[in-house]
Amino acid sequence: MAVTRERLTRALAPKVVAVIGDKKASGYNWLRSMKEFDGPVYSVQVDENEIPGIEELGIPNYKSLTDIPDQVDFAVCAVPRQVAPFIVQGCVEANVGGVTLFTSGFAETGEDIGVELQNKIFEIADPSGLALIGPNCMGLHVPGLGVRFNRDQPAGVQGNIGFVSQSGTHGMNFSLTGAAHGLYCSTLVSFGNGIILEAADYLEYLVDDPQTEVIGMYIEGARDGQRLFRTLREVAAKKPVIIWKGGQTEGGGRAIRSHTASLASDQAIWEAMIRQVGAVAVHNLDEMIDVVKATLLTKRTQGNRLGLIAMTGGQSVVLTDAFEKAGWRVPTLSEKSYSQLSEFFNIIGGSYRNPLDAAGTIGQDPKHLDTIFDILNADENIDAVGMELSATFMARRWQDKPEEFDRLIGSLKRFMAESDKPFLAALHPSHVEEAAHTARLRLQEEGIATFPSFERAANALRKASTLAAVN
Amino acid sequence: MTDVIAAARAEQRTLLSEVEAKQLLAEAGVNVTETRLAASAEEAASHAAELGYPVALKVVSDAITHKTDVGGVELGIADEAELRTAWDAIHARVADSAPGADLHGLSVQPMAEPGAEVILGITQDQQFGPVLMFGLGGVFVEVLKDVAFRIVPLEPRDASEMVREIQGFPLLEGFRGQPAANLEAIESMLLQLSEFAEANPEIAELDLNPVFARPDGAIAVDARILLTSDS
Repeated sequence: MAVTRERLTRALAPKVVAVIGDKKASGYNWLRSMKEFDGPVYSVQVDENEIPGIEELGIPNYKSLTDIPDQVDFAVCAVPRQVAPFIVQGCVEANVGGVTLFTSGFAETGEDIGVELQNKIFEIADPSGLALIGPNCMGLHVPGLGVRFNRDQPAGVQGNIGFVSQSGTHGMNFSLTGAAHGLYCSTLVSFGNGIILEAADYLEYLVDDPQTEVIGMYIEGARDGQRLFRTLREVAAKKPVIIWKGGQTEGGGRAIRSHTASLASDQAIWEAMIRQVGAVAVHNLDEMIDVVKATLLTKRTQGNRLGLIAMTGGQSVVLTDAFEKAGWRVPTLSEKSYSQLSEFFNIIGGSYRNPLDAAGTIGQDPKHLDTIFDILNADENIDAVGMELSATFMARRWQDKPEEFDRLIGSLKRFMAESDKPFLAALHPSHVEEAAHTARLRLQEEGIATFPSFERAANALRKASTLAAVN
Repeated sequence: MTDVIAAARAEQRTLLSEVEAKQLLAEAGVNVTETRLAASAEEAASHAAELGYPVALKVVSDAITHKTDVGGVELGIADEAELRTAWDAIHARVADSAPGADLHGLSVQPMAEPGAEVILGITQDQQFGPVLMFGLGGVFVEVLKDVAFRIVPLEPRDASEMVREIQGFPLLEGFRGQPAANLEAIESMLLQLSEFAEANPEIAELDLNPVFARPDGAIAVDARILLTSDS
């Protein structure tokens, strides 16, 4: 029986939560992670040795799901694998909306007993319509509701990124590292073996979810590839989808007698599928974060001509190299722009050809940055604007004189508000990395797309601009 | 339409002959050179007279996968006298390089007017099912692996994008005075193959190699089809 949307919504946006089988040995990870949950949390534990510790946390414990005097929408199950089928049966009887099976040791082990237990769970859950997440997964993270599976994950903040992950680690890392970049999830699901609900089900939910503006996905393989393909084709036309495919599936091992079959590697097919549906492929966590960031924080352009502002001559050169290598052009500006720039630009130790080597000019009078932005905004040769924010020269200074940093941020935000051209900034790691990191966090909090290298900035903006849903 | 497949199954073959493969494709509306099987030189001569010279002769045998490797191909045969010489020459070479190979005969087909050589293909992916491939023929596919894939079913936009995705695309647009290939003809052949793959799930692999892409259209001059082993 298919899981209804109503049932899935109860599970993924719960009002009442239960944790089954948490214990001291695991540091009460699940119960503690739910500390910020925006509603009642119950524990289910039959072990008399464990109950006092749970009650000390201030969480009411029951011996069975059906004893809980509340309708549970979402349950986390962390019991040993032999017990898992009984818990799933309990969830069905208690009309729980959905359950995450953190429990592992099923089909992924390749053991007969694991496969048998997984089949048993499927047979119990499938006819009931229970929204079963997993097994062998970390489950659900909804920061807006305080649903977490790790205590470092954010809570009390409404995010806008839907994330679907076959791996618990990569899902968790996206939520944690993403938050350090100012990126927060609307709903994140790690679905592991995905025996009832698989990637396509979560995608269908997220495309309809009003909180979700962009969707990220980590996937290793699909049980029903055609369904995933068709679902992605619909979803990626409506919302940007960024896909990180991990691992290589081995070929069938059959004798291949055609060129076509010999060239059809797993990687070639996935990359083609991702392009075909109008999603974009990324290859690691950093790139996922970069492209999500560019998609959310920069405007879209059909053009590829960049106006660049750098703080030194050397950076002007490598900034240009990085963007041109990624397919951008750094053209000369219009005659009108040059005549305007010549009126105030300090060319001693500077240059305004494009990139604009502008540290001296801005140092002379910070208002000059606004003028430069206005000129680039009006210039018809320019589709997007990128800027080097020099950590080497400025990070410490911003720490000492925060008003200067505030003024810089004011100028960037003014340009972003007034121009339709995408804007992005690069702030490299430096010898004063703590100060640079603080500055980067602040820039991101202010909604300014900031990247730790020119290459990452150039790649992210290019990939974001190929997404079907934004074109 | 399924007769060819049924016949191969009855003989427990998974590899279709070029004649069979082209028959299946022609029935699906794919533009292929008309190819007929001849069991004797007389029969070949009569086919050639009907199809029109110049023609090509190619060996047809389940035991031979790569026809040129065993000397099983003669191209540009101008008349009946040359045809009879070629018939004997192929038999002599094949007997020498593939002794004991069971021959069904030789296929006769008119020589197609050459164009840019491209390859179109189908394979089955474990996860996504039928997949289409497009690339330039010859070294481009064999050495540089300059090909594009799409999952079936294709939309017209997919066909258009995959043709333009390969690195060698400028060669199809008429590079250095070469005539430009008819891109629409290639795209519509890709869309036909997408339908063909959907309608024939028993096709495990297909190569149309080469397809001649000319200014006035596209035509497959060789075709290889491998059926799934389970059925």
